[in-house]
Amino acid sequence: MTNKRETTLGLFYCQNVPVSSEQERQNLELKYGQRIRLFPIPCSGRLEPLHLLRALEEFADMAYVITCPEGACRYFEGNYRARKRVQRTQAIISSIGLEVDRVGIIVGSKDAPKALGELVDDILKRTSGLGPSPVHKKV
Amino acid sequence: MITAVQKPIDEIREMIAPYKKILVLGCASCVAECAAGGEKETAMLASTLRMAAKMNGEEVGFTEMTLDRQCVKEFYIRLDDVIDQYDAVLSLACGAGVQAVADMFQDVPIIPALNTEFLGETKDQGLWVENCLGCGDCMLYYFGGVCPLARCSKQLLNGPCGGSMDGKCEVNPEIDCAWQLIIDRLSKIGALERLEKIYPPKDWSKKQGGGPRKIVREDQQK
Repeated sequence: MTNKRETTLGLFYCQNVPVSSEQERQNLELKYGQRIRLFPIPCSGRLEPLHLLRALEEFADMAYVITCPEGACRYFEGNYRARKRVQRTQAIISSIGLEVDRVGIIVGSKDAPKALGELVDDILKRTSGLGPSPVHKKV
Repeated sequence: MITAVQKPIDEIREMIAPYKKILVLGCASCVAECAAGGEKETAMLASTLRMAAKMNGEEVGFTEMTLDRQCVKEFYIRLDDVIDQYDAVLSLACGAGVQAVADMFQDVPIIPALNTEFLGETKDQGLWVENCLGCGDCMLYYFGGVCPLARCSKQLLNGPCGGSMDGKCEVNPEIDCAWQLIIDRLSKIGALERLEKIYPPKDWSKKQGGGPRKIVREDQQK
């Protein structure tokens, strides 16, 4: 018998991502249960490294952000800033020995836009090999 | 303002290793402006240290607090009510702030989390540049508001050196030639004649020649 804990993804997403209404958020949380916690933000530029760090510290095994396509940010440079903040967060978690892939960014595509649900599936697939975070291991 | 950068996390963890209850203490002044030790950076460092401790099975408590200034008694005196709860304070202040808190609370180790860098300016978002050495005898009037001691790589008071090319320094082409800037500025304000004077070597006695400096203003005292 295995007792492997399922991982939890903390996901921050720009509310301008297609099909990302409040109803859709609730549907996804019902579908995935404890595997995801979704945080809509008005613009990915609002995201700070602290949000990602606190998610990793408190509950998440992985913390990701979804932005609108580059060049399509309604505030001009929000997604550009989000990318830099994700890179900064990756450097921080790397300095304490956490895998950098536990933090990531998905930039929406202008040509082939995907709904929030599809992007969630993509991230869960991409991070499936990581396993539970050592931050949450029982002492 | 005084600029600083955070020390490497391994160095910080080594310094705090003996302690179990640590106050992570930010400073909301200069080091907040240079994004090294303000409330946000304090929260980030505390979160990072908590994660590192959990990953290594260490039972350490980190509490966050940010003072308006760690270098002014009216602000750091607030620690009086809480400092007894901690084994150590990890300070995200400049060296002046760390020492001020350490002088006041001598029974508790005050550990620096930052490396203090220089007196400088926020040139752009995420860009800070050194432009003052705190020499104690400001000469900016003579040089059109550009300090050759802080900004010329060779600290020449009678420049330029001849190595300047296209307004850039031969030491590092990313550095603007301070003497090009001085000549341009003085030309603009019609004061190029200030450079006709030969300036003697800098009198550094006003900086540290007499040991640590202090300023006394009786009108400001009780």
